[in-house]
Amino acid sequence: MLDELQEEMPSPRLARYRVYLRERPVMLVVLTLAAVVFFLAVSGLSRAHQAQREALGDRWFTRGRSDLNTKRFDAAVTDFRAALLYAPDNYSYQLNLAEALIGQHRTGQASAYLLNLWDREPDNGLVNLELARIAAQQGETQEAVRYYHNAVYAVWPPSEEEMRGDARLELIELLLRNNEKPQAQGELIALAASVGPDPVVQEHLGDLFLRAEDYEHALAAYSVTLKSDRHNPGALAGAGFAAFELGRYPLAQRYLVAAAIVKPNDPEIEDRLKTTQMVLHMDPFRRQVAVSERHQMVVNAFNTAGQRLKSCPLPKIAPAGPASDQASSLNDDWNRLKPEVTEERLRTNPDLAETAMDLVFRIERETSIVCGTPTGPDLALLLISRLHEGS
Amino acid sequence: MDPQTSAEPEVPISSRHPDRAVVWFGEHSRTIWRSVFREDHLFLILSVFIGVFSGLAVVCFRFAIDWARIYLLGTGAILTTARMLLAPTLAGLVIAALVIHFFPTTRGSGVNQTKAALYIFNGNIPIRTAIGKFITAALAIGSGHSLGPEDPSLQIGACLASAMGRKMRLQRDRMRLIAPVGAAAGLAAAFNAPISAVLFVIEEVIGRWTAGILGSVVLSAVSSVVVMRWFLGSESLFRIPAVELKRPTELIAYAVLGVVGGLASVAFASGIATFRPICKGLPPWTQYFQPAVAGLLIGIIAVLGAPQVMGAGYEYIDQAMHGQFTWEFLAILAGLKILATLFSFVSGTPGGMFAPTLFIGAMLGAAVGGAEHVLVPHLTGSPGTYALVGMGVLFAGFLRVPMTSVFMVLEVSGNYSIILPVIVANTFAYVISRALLPIPIFDLLTRQDGLELPSMEEQREEGILRVEDAMQPVQGPVLDAGQSLEQALKQLDHSESERLLVRLVPSGWASVSKKELFDMAAQGKGTHALGSLLPILHVPYLHPDHPLETALRYVDRWPIVPVVSRADFRHLEGVVTQKDVLERYREFGEG
Repeated sequence: MLDELQEEMPSPRLARYRVYLRERPVMLVVLTLAAVVFFLAVSGLSRAHQAQREALGDRWFTRGRSDLNTKRFDAAVTDFRAALLYAPDNYSYQLNLAEALIGQHRTGQASAYLLNLWDREPDNGLVNLELARIAAQQGETQEAVRYYHNAVYAVWPPSEEEMRGDARLELIELLLRNNEKPQAQGELIALAASVGPDPVVQEHLGDLFLRAEDYEHALAAYSVTLKSDRHNPGALAGAGFAAFELGRYPLAQRYLVAAAIVKPNDPEIEDRLKTTQMVLHMDPFRRQVAVSERHQMVVNAFNTAGQRLKSCPLPKIAPAGPASDQASSLNDDWNRLKPEVTEERLRTNPDLAETAMDLVFRIERETSIVCGTPTGPDLALLLISRLHEGS
Repeated sequence: MDPQTSAEPEVPISSRHPDRAVVWFGEHSRTIWRSVFREDHLFLILSVFIGVFSGLAVVCFRFAIDWARIYLLGTGAILTTARMLLAPTLAGLVIAALVIHFFPTTRGSGVNQTKAALYIFNGNIPIRTAIGKFITAALAIGSGHSLGPEDPSLQIGACLASAMGRKMRLQRDRMRLIAPVGAAAGLAAAFNAPISAVLFVIEEVIGRWTAGILGSVVLSAVSSVVVMRWFLGSESLFRIPAVELKRPTELIAYAVLGVVGGLASVAFASGIATFRPICKGLPPWTQYFQPAVAGLLIGIIAVLGAPQVMGAGYEYIDQAMHGQFTWEFLAILAGLKILATLFSFVSGTPGGMFAPTLFIGAMLGAAVGGAEHVLVPHLTGSPGTYALVGMGVLFAGFLRVPMTSVFMVLEVSGNYSIILPVIVANTFAYVISRALLPIPIFDLLTRQDGLELPSMEEQREEGILRVEDAMQPVQGPVLDAGQSLEQALKQLDHSESERLLVRLVPSGWASVSKKELFDMAAQGKGTHALGSLLPILHVPYLHPDHPLETALRYVDRWPIVPVVSRADFRHLEGVVTQKDVLERYREFGEG
C-alpha cells in the first residue's frame, strides 16, 4: 500500500520537470504567438506611419519645388527641410535642398548635403556638377575639375543628357578662366566630337576654340556655322580672327570684310581688318607684285623700322647679355644700310631687298620684345616677319 | 532464391521498428527538453524574446512620439508661435494629471527605476509603468519638452522583460537580472547602437561583468536592434561627416573641449541637483502645474529664437555636425538646452536625459571647435568631428559612464580614427566632473528619491583586499617531504612554531604540527621519509594576488595556508592564518 502511494506521489525532481513541461513550453509558444501578432500589428502601424510620412514629405517637397522654380530660395529651404523631417535620407529632397542653399549662397551647407549625396552615389551627374560649381566658386580649381570630369562621365538620365555637355562647357570655361589652355583644348575637341552641326552650338564652340587658341578647330567650327548661316556676324568675325591668327591673311580679309558689312562699326573687326589689309599690302614677298612696287614696299618697310627704332630706343649699355649687343648692332646695321636702301640700289642689287627686309624683321621683333606689341604698320611688319619666319 | 538478394524495398528503421523509434525519441526528447528548459538556457531564449518585444515596443514608441509631434507641433520645419507656447504647456498639464493619478512610477528617466528593480524589487516592475512611460514620455517629447526617448525605452524594455520573467516563473536570481536584460534591449533599439547599450547596462545598471548575464544582455540588445532596423532602417540618428585626425598636436584642442565639456557637465548636473529637490518640496498641488510651467518656459525659449531646444533635437545635431550654425549660436544653443532640459527634468516630466546630453555635447563640441578655428585657423578638425567628440564628452562628464561614452562615439561614427580625440576629451571631462561633483547624477537622483542603490562608480573604484595584504613571513622551518623524520626533528630544535609546512614532491604542500612529529618519532618512525608519514590530504595554497575573500574559504579549515609564487609553486612567499585575515579585514573596516 505504502509502495503504491510512493509510486503515485511524484518526487520533487519529477514535479519540477512536470512544471517545466507543463508551463514553460506553453509559455514559450504563447510568447512566440504573441511576438508574431505584435510583429504583424507593428507592421500595420509602420505602413500607416510610413504612408503618412511619405505624404507629408511629398507635400513639402512639391511646395519646395514650386518655391525653387520661382527663385524663392528662403521658402524653398524651409520647405525642403520640412520634407527631410519625414524622409531624412531622401536623395531628391537633399539634392533640392542643396540647390536652394546654393541659391541662398550658403555654399558651405549645400556642399555638406552634396558630399553626403556623393558618398551615396559618386556617379550621380547632377551632384558632381553642383559640387564642381561650388568648388569653382570657392576657387578650388583642382577639386572643381575633378567634379566636372565626374559629371561629364557620370550617369545622367536620358532626359538630362544635355547636362553632360553643359558640364563639359562649364569645365572648359573654368579652364579658360584659369588659363589652362592645353587642357581646355583637349576638352573642346572631345566636346566638338559629341555635338551636332547646330550653327549656334558650333559658333559657341568656335568662340571657345578661339579663346583656347586652337585656331584650326575654331575656323572649322565657324565654317560649319557659315555653311548654314552665311551672314552670321559672329561666325564671320570669328572665322576672320581665326584665319588672321593662323596667318591666312587673304582668307581673314575675306571673312573680316564680310563681317564688317553685316556688323559695321565694330571696332575690333575694323581694327583687325585694317591690320590684315596692311599685312597684305606691306608684304614685299607676296606673289604677283610688280618689281618697282616691291622695291617701294622694301623702302617703306625699312623707313618704318627706322622710325620704330627711334621711338623705341633699345638700350645700348646694358649690364650684360645678347639683347644690348643686338640693340647696338641693329642701330648700326640700320644706319649702315640706310644709304643703300633706295629703289635704284634695289634695282641693281636684287639681294639687297632680302638683307633690308631681314633687318626690318629683326628690328620689329626686338622692339616688340622691349616695348611691347606695336600697332599700325609696325604690327603689320611684325606679322609679315612671322609669316616668313624660317622661309 | 537467395533471401539476401530478395527485392524487398529498403524500409527506414523508424518504420520497421516503430516501437524502438518511439523509445529513442522519448529518451532523446527528454534530454532535449531538459537541455532547453534548463534555467540558464531558458534565460537565453527568453532574452531573445525580450529583445524582440522591446524592439517592437520601441518602434511603436518612436511612432507615438512622431505622431504626437505632428499633431501637437505641426508638420513644418518652422513652428508657429502659438504651437510653440501651447503644445508643451497643455501637454504638461495632461502629463501631470496622468502621472499623479495613474502612473506615479513613471517620473524621471527610468534608469534608476531599473536599478531599483534589480537591487530592491527582485526584478519586478509593474507593466503599468511601461504603459504609463510610453504614453507620458511620447506626449512630453512630441510636444516639445526637452527630453529624449532613450531612457524611457530602456525602462519600457525592462518592464516587458520583468513581465515575461514573472510569467516564466524564473528563479529569484535570474528574475533579478531580467530587468537589465530588457533595459539593454530597450536602449539598443532606441539608440540603434547595441554595443553602447550593452556597455551602459553593464557599466551603470549591473556594475559587473559575468559571462551569464553578458550573453543574455548581448542577445537581447542584438535582437531588439534587428527588429528596430527591420522597421526603421539601419541609418544612424544623424549623418556622420568625414572624421580625421591629421596632426597629433590637435589633441590639445580636443583636450580643451574636454575641459569645457567637464565644466558644462558639472553645471548641468548641479542644476538638477539643486532645483529637483526644490520642485519636489513645493506643495503637492503644484505638481499638477510643474510640467506645464516647464513647457511654457521651453516654449518661450523657442519663441525667442531657439526652437531647436524643443524635443529630442536629433535633426539639429545633424545640422550642427555639418557646419550649419555659427559657433556663437551653437554655444547659445548648448546653454539654452541645458536650461530647457533642467526645466523639463526637475518638473518631473517623464522623459530621458540621453538625447539632451547628446544635443548639448554636440552643440558645445561644435562651438568649441568653431571658436578654436577662429583662434587657430590651421586646425583641421571639422565641426562634425568636434560635435561627435562633444557628445562623448558630455556622456563621460554628465552621465559618468566613461567606457560607454567612448564606444558610443565609435559606434555612432563608425570611424576608428576618432578614438584618440574621444579618449583624450572624455578623460578630461570625466576627471573634472568627478573632482567638482563627487556623486554621479544617477546616484544623486537615487538619493534624492530616498533610495540607497549601489553606486557603480564607487563599486568600480572600491579598494580590494588581496592575500598579500594579510600574508605573514614564514616563521619556522619549511620541511621537505623527502627528508627523514629524524632530520625534520633536528630542524625543529630552534623553532617556536607549533605548525610547520612540508613541501611535497613533485608539488603541493602539507602541514604538520610539532606534536604530531614527536608522536610519530615515539612510534619509532624516525627513519621513515616524512612524505610517507603525512596524511593524503594536501593543504591548498594561495597566490599573493588572490582576493582576500579566497583565503577565507581555507583558513577556517587549515590553520596555516601557504602563499606561493605563481612562477614557482614550490617557492613559498609567506603564509596566512585565520587570525591574519580577520585582523586585516578589521583594519580595513576601521579605514
